[in-house]
Amino acid sequence: MGAPYVVEFEIAKDDFLAAGEGSGSVKDTLKMLGIPSAVIRRAAIITYEAEMNLVIHGGGGVLKILISPEKVEIVARDDGPGIPDVELAMREGFSTAPDRIREMGFGAGMGLPNIKRNADSLEIESAVGVGTTLTASIDLSGEGGPA
Amino acid sequence: MGVKVFDVACRGCVNCIRSCPTEAIRVIDGMVKIIPELCIDCGECIRSCGNKALGLDEDDWRLLQSHGASVISADPTFYVQFSHYWRPALVVEALASWNILDLHDWVSRAFDVAAYAIARVIEGSTEDERPLISTYCPSVVRLIQTRFPELLGRLVPVESPLEAGVALWRKETGRTDPVTLLSPCPAKITMVRNPEGRESSNIDHVVSVKSVARDLLAGGPRVRGELEPMANTRWIRWAVRGGESRHIKAFSSKEITTVTVSGLRNTLDLLRDLELGRLHGVDFVECRVCDLGCIGGIGNAESRFLGQLRTEKFKVNWDPSEEERAVIVDLYEEGVWRLPLPLTTRPGRPLADNLNEAMERLKKMKEVYADLPHIDCGACGRPSCKAMAEDVVRGLGETTDCIFKLRERISTLAAEIIDLSRLQPQTLRGRGKLRS
Repeated sequence: MGAPYVVEFEIAKDDFLAAGEGSGSVKDTLKMLGIPSAVIRRAAIITYEAEMNLVIHGGGGVLKILISPEKVEIVARDDGPGIPDVELAMREGFSTAPDRIREMGFGAGMGLPNIKRNADSLEIESAVGVGTTLTASIDLSGEGGPA
Repeated sequence: MGVKVFDVACRGCVNCIRSCPTEAIRVIDGMVKIIPELCIDCGECIRSCGNKALGLDEDDWRLLQSHGASVISADPTFYVQFSHYWRPALVVEALASWNILDLHDWVSRAFDVAAYAIARVIEGSTEDERPLISTYCPSVVRLIQTRFPELLGRLVPVESPLEAGVALWRKETGRTDPVTLLSPCPAKITMVRNPEGRESSNIDHVVSVKSVARDLLAGGPRVRGELEPMANTRWIRWAVRGGESRHIKAFSSKEITTVTVSGLRNTLDLLRDLELGRLHGVDFVECRVCDLGCIGGIGNAESRFLGQLRTEKFKVNWDPSEEERAVIVDLYEEGVWRLPLPLTTRPGRPLADNLNEAMERLKKMKEVYADLPHIDCGACGRPSCKAMAEDVVRGLGETTDCIFKLRERISTLAAEIIDLSRLQPQTLRGRGKLRS
């Protein structure tokens, strides 16, 4: 029914401390809609991981959350370096994060796998040198799904 | 709720609404209203009220006493309220001179068992499950249920020892007479009246530490110091931040890393960090919403600084004897420490019962909000422009409750009136100037 409700954030490059703003706002919004807390938890995890990816790899970007009665869709778009091998990037523990980021406790190669685990569907479109668009969604019609 | 509004004293000043961490307060028709689903009983609003319009929703101690109430279970903070009863045993003796039985013998054991149980829960947990969070502060539990539901699984399922101690006494003595809890805060009042994690409390009445301390301070009881010093004072340390963690460490077989914080702002920041997974390597988190720990609770009589000083002065033997240990292990095996029911999220307040309607309202709310001044002045009786927008779409307010929106309308109206005043009746047109 009608256009989805949209929340949008600009995510700055390397701004580790601001990451979490998006997931916080997603939580608050979904709570107002009366979405079950298990679903809110999954949406918050996906949003947070997507935010971190924009911060670490994407050189910043735009995070968009589209909420409709059928699904919650999280779209993260950046004009960063792109992912040469998406399948490899999905593997647990695989990471291209530089040492300085690992030293801060990030970049453990769990981001994308974590998003996949919590999403009902996940699509990654990426072109090297152009950028990446990640679209993850959670079904709202069912019971709340896996994870 | 452990907080009560005294309507006659409320001047509708909106001081309290900004102090509330969950935005649970509104001033409607010049009177404070608390939204019970959002209240976590932290007591911040009571602290902020200069008119004594907010207070503890406690039972009347003198009335209870006149009806023969004679058994109490006291929060650890109670024993550090007095400068002239400078040891816990003197406080117990003062109470005894009024024929009041203090259950400290049982309660102190329950604290030992709780600390022992938490140490076992930590040791039995996986790295992913840690850090675990203390369940001792009922406000922290409610805060997590309300604002951080994803952290619920980290709360240790251990009963408040204040509760377990009374159960232990009833079990060992078979006594059924009513017990009164002396509480340092609104949260522990709610723990008795409307507990989380159990159907109902073993405790029957609850009054503030302050109300009983006041009577003891007023004098009366003759204390000769005849009682032996309290053998086990480990539990009294729970009155200040870090006491619980120290107690748990006494029963841990390996070193554990704990973070202890007190005060609402610190608690909120810590839970946010935890939510974002920033506390790797920490095993246990002890949060108290009151400054310095329970000693900072609004229901105490003594200055929290002196209370802390006194608590830390008591000699504490952190190493229980073999006999004590055997008793603790037995009680642990019996499971008296376990919270009977799982802790669940609190039902939220969705904008509407069905999703479509809620989404419509959310869109409307965004529009209303965009049109508000975003300075969160509180003059409308809501803690923020966002809360105002929310109330409007819920049908609980008008945008003209906003003083700026009201002025805008007045100025539009005034402009219209000026325009109108310039229009001449057609009968006068062509006559030039109106004669004065």
